[in-house]
Amino acid sequence: MTILVLQIVILCLVAAAIVLWALYFPYPSPLIRRWLSPRKRWPEMQIRTWLKRGKFQRAFLRHFYSDPERIAPPGNSMLAPADGLVTSAQVHDGVRYLVIALSFWDMHVQRSPVAGRVLDVASHGDGFMDGEGREFAFLREKSCPVQKRLVIATDAAGQIAVRLITSLAARRIETWVRAGEQIERGQRIGRILLGSTVVLELPPSMSLLVRPGDRVWAGETAVAEGVVRP
Amino acid sequence: MNDFLWSSGHLGWGAFAIAVFTGLWWLLGDLYWRLHSVRIGRLLVGLATGWTVGAGLILLGFLVGGR
Repeated sequence: MTILVLQIVILCLVAAAIVLWALYFPYPSPLIRRWLSPRKRWPEMQIRTWLKRGKFQRAFLRHFYSDPERIAPPGNSMLAPADGLVTSAQVHDGVRYLVIALSFWDMHVQRSPVAGRVLDVASHGDGFMDGEGREFAFLREKSCPVQKRLVIATDAAGQIAVRLITSLAARRIETWVRAGEQIERGQRIGRILLGSTVVLELPPSMSLLVRPGDRVWAGETAVAEGVVRP
Repeated sequence: MNDFLWSSGHLGWGAFAIAVFTGLWWLLGDLYWRLHSVRIGRLLVGLATGWTVGAGLILLGFLVGGR
């Protein structure tokens, strides 16, 4: 009798695992998620479904809001302000725009590329929609992104700016620094909630250390170096 | 062969092993499909072949053990 009960328990466990698999299909069952990379654990289609409903899986949110420590490399090179993929490094009107596209699976806390003084933290786009917001729409291929632009004055590179951009659907950008504040290289400066883009505005004379297609990590990857030529 | 399905008041070890192996093999196939980019046709052929070999070994083990 004991053996029969044991057999039934084991068969029930296997059956429960298969029912769980069927309930979650085509997305991964909770039983196997731990062995999958974030991109496979939460497929894009599933995240887009959550976006429509406005409800997210807790484990995904925990991953999304994660804020790991980063160690800045030695030297004075300019660091990537965000995790993501470099998609463009075009020069427009004497400014180089290094565009970093963040995916749903990237860490969404932004870090300062340099040490310096924050000159301005300004909002653009959405309710603050102005000519500039539209002008820079090419950066994200969206008609009116929501933006925050942080201008930082540095000794070596002059003025640089970090643009935090998100979509109208997400609308939320947090900035953790104020105008007049002195910030360190690699310091946390803000967070974009949900799909987003970060643009680093540099003087074109600085030499780039990355190119479109490269993957970068906020506060760890050196993206540019050199001083501004007068 | 009666012992295969039912034996002394409990499920036969052969049928039990095949049922458990089938369930676990299916779940393992799902995990493999998610970890590796593999064509669905190739995956199904691999799963069917693996299941046939596994079930055959269980059956063989049962027959050899029963002698």
